Amino acid sequence: MTGARASVAVVGSGPGGATAAKVLAEAGHDVVIFEKGRSYFSNLTSDLPGTVFSNDELKTDRNFAEADPLSEPRVFRTSTADKTPFVGAVQSLPQTVGGGAVHWDAKTPRYWDIDFKKRSLLGPQPGAAVEDWPFSYEEIAPHYEVIEQLIGVQGSRAELPPLTRRHAPHSTDFPMPPGPPQYSSLLAAKGAKAVGLHPFPAAMAINSREYEGRPACNNCGFCSDYGCPILARIGALAPLRDALLAGAELRERSTVVHVGHRNGRVHGVQWLDEHGNHHRQLFDAVVLAGNSIETVRLALFSNLPDPYRATGRYLMFHWFTDGSGIFLDERLHGYRGRDHTHDIDDFANPEFPGARRAAKEAGLPYFRAGKVEMGGTDRPLGEAQQYVGILPVLAPHKPFGRAFKELMRSSILRDRLLGLTLMGEDLPYATNRVDLDRNVRDWRGYPVPRITYSPGRHELAAQAFYMPWMVKLLEAAGAEVALAIPQEPSARFPVGAAGVPSTDHIMGGMRMGRNPATSVTDSEGRHHQLENLFVADGSVFPTSGGHNPTLTIMATARRNALRWAAAL
Amino acid sequence: MSRRDVLRRGGSFSLAGLALLLPPELLAGQRVEGARTATEWLVFTDHEAAVVKEASARLIPGPEDDPAEVGHPGAREADVVRYIDTMLGALSMSPAKVFAGGPFSNRAGSPVDDMAHFIGLSPAQAHGWRLRIAGYRRAYSIGVVALDHLAGGDFERATNTVRDEALTKDPDGFASLLFQHAAEGMYSVPEYGGNRGLVGWKDIRFPGDRQPRGYTPDQVSLSDGPDRYRPRGAAATLLALMRASSGR
Repeated sequence: MTGARASVAVVGSGPGGATAAKVLAEAGHDVVIFEKGRSYFSNLTSDLPGTVFSNDELKTDRNFAEADPLSEPRVFRTSTADKTPFVGAVQSLPQTVGGGAVHWDAKTPRYWDIDFKKRSLLGPQPGAAVEDWPFSYEEIAPHYEVIEQLIGVQGSRAELPPLTRRHAPHSTDFPMPPGPPQYSSLLAAKGAKAVGLHPFPAAMAINSREYEGRPACNNCGFCSDYGCPILARIGALAPLRDALLAGAELRERSTVVHVGHRNGRVHGVQWLDEHGNHHRQLFDAVVLAGNSIETVRLALFSNLPDPYRATGRYLMFHWFTDGSGIFLDERLHGYRGRDHTHDIDDFANPEFPGARRAAKEAGLPYFRAGKVEMGGTDRPLGEAQQYVGILPVLAPHKPFGRAFKELMRSSILRDRLLGLTLMGEDLPYATNRVDLDRNVRDWRGYPVPRITYSPGRHELAAQAFYMPWMVKLLEAAGAEVALAIPQEPSARFPVGAAGVPSTDHIMGGMRMGRNPATSVTDSEGRHHQLENLFVADGSVFPTSGGHNPTLTIMATARRNALRWAAAL
Repeated sequence: MSRRDVLRRGGSFSLAGLALLLPPELLAGQRVEGARTATEWLVFTDHEAAVVKEASARLIPGPEDDPAEVGHPGAREADVVRYIDTMLGALSMSPAKVFAGGPFSNRAGSPVDDMAHFIGLSPAQAHGWRLRIAGYRRAYSIGVVALDHLAGGDFERATNTVRDEALTKDPDGFASLLFQHAAEGMYSVPEYGGNRGLVGWKDIRFPGDRQPRGYTPDQVSLSDGPDRYRPRGAAATLLALMRASSGR
């Protein structure tokens, strides 16, 4: 450390931004956190903040936490040749104080050792820019441990299957034991075991007992997509609290629209308050943490130097597949609990029996899908809208009335549903990217982000291979009807459950790497061309892994910010 | 498992297309803002409210609307029309009646109903909701005219058979939009004006919002016991469709 106090702007108060702000503020720097969204919390410096989040499905459907798609739409197209781009909500993470750690059900698996050395250990993939990360699992592991303690993770080290223990070893047990398992997750776990897979209690940043002044989760069931009404899931608010206690200032409803730079250095930001008034402020350094889409958008607004046109490229989501098992003998009450409580990791293994051969047949050296979340279901408004949508097919002569009421009472798609979600690894492709659409503007007149994204051969081959396994698992669990369906349509599977990407797992765009021609930030998340500009969100990921990204976003932000703090 | 994004993307309708379907003299007869007499409604005229009430009761029928639904309240009993009128008038109230408060209602262990106090909109949210509600208001004005037209002049006085035919034609998506809103009014927390007496939740055996009480570990982990459902009608068709596309 140079010993001087530097002034640092952190753009974004989500998991990455809050973690970086904590590290920088605790190192003695003067930190201002800019958050475009509003705060739904009070007493952010206390152990137990107050909140207005609630068990209210309509409020959630009305985009309480996310940007309103009519004010701030995004554009989605499958390729540059796509003539019918979608305008609306695309990968819409919460735009609030706390960011993406507000709406999640807080599943916090670690990435695997092979994720960080993918190119060296597994080799290249045709058409994709598979690279190693600038650090290894061994290097990031202590940061995982610190973050797991900070946000309070429940899990069982003893119950991790050998595969997970080998690829993501924990040197100590989780801070808390697992809470009560969900009935539907237990059924799925039984089915998984019966077909030779290895279920285990999911790691999640949810209190199973009182933890640092915050209560144990009481399993209200409004978890994924909902802010926690009792703060049993603290998420990004834990590092944010520490940052504020160390002197950081939080400016909510403040939108950074430009990062000023000259001669290889940034010198400050321009921002708008909620009334649209412009402000400028000088800073010694700037940290971008708005997630892959908003960080890239700000980089493009600011014309950051980009000699190799790498900014916004290698965008990765996860390629999701939904499984649905229907039980007619009993109701599964998947609406009680923490969305789901059990996972399997088997499909994240490139050496899964038969996977190498199937990859070869698809013309690939290897493939990999990812974690499967097991259990959980929909809620009544979601279920009702499914029936409203499908009744014209089921009952074309009268697609409403008693047929709808009977469907709601039968609850095939809610109380009798056991859901699975497979998150398949997305390889980094230069053609999957974020740029600006100058023809579509947000409510303030700024160009909106345009997402161009399609799965590659790797994602589709892995999906095709594992879909029948999901059906087998559900049938072994006792489902009378079982199906697996891609969340998004593709050339291979033209029917998808959703029209546009909505996985909420967003990575790449400002990827880390040693080579400035194929990456935007260096091996510690510092911009290749701007020595005092740093990136602290998932946009720095070189590859996507096959697990939920947030824990790795926070651990990476901590690892990198400790270096920035010392260098400033 | 999060399927919300999947769902909220469903359902699109176009106002321009709907207007083209209608004879011009009908559109000329549309209600003009400000030329209204006092009613119990925030936005609807009495006639609009009556049409929306009757139409939503065809979409989600109760005992008065379908003999098969005796013992099963529907849109009429849940006061869905009040929910929709409240939504269309949400911005005329301060704070806007768009986002109910939190963290708790008084239904699951809290003495106070925080949800009764709505949360004001940020400027960005207010912008979006002005656009959204303006679109909905146009859709309802034109949609009611369209339903009247398809029902031979007055939907309110038409027979159920005629009403069902008009709704099945789904004039450029208006019946679908109404169905979506009726479902919201049926199954959302009652603070938004619908789900009166929690009849929507009771009919589907959904306990509703659950904080601060939550569920006990046994309620989470154990079976509730056998409950056999024998699919028929639309449910049987849906299951057959799912079987046929299993992805195996």
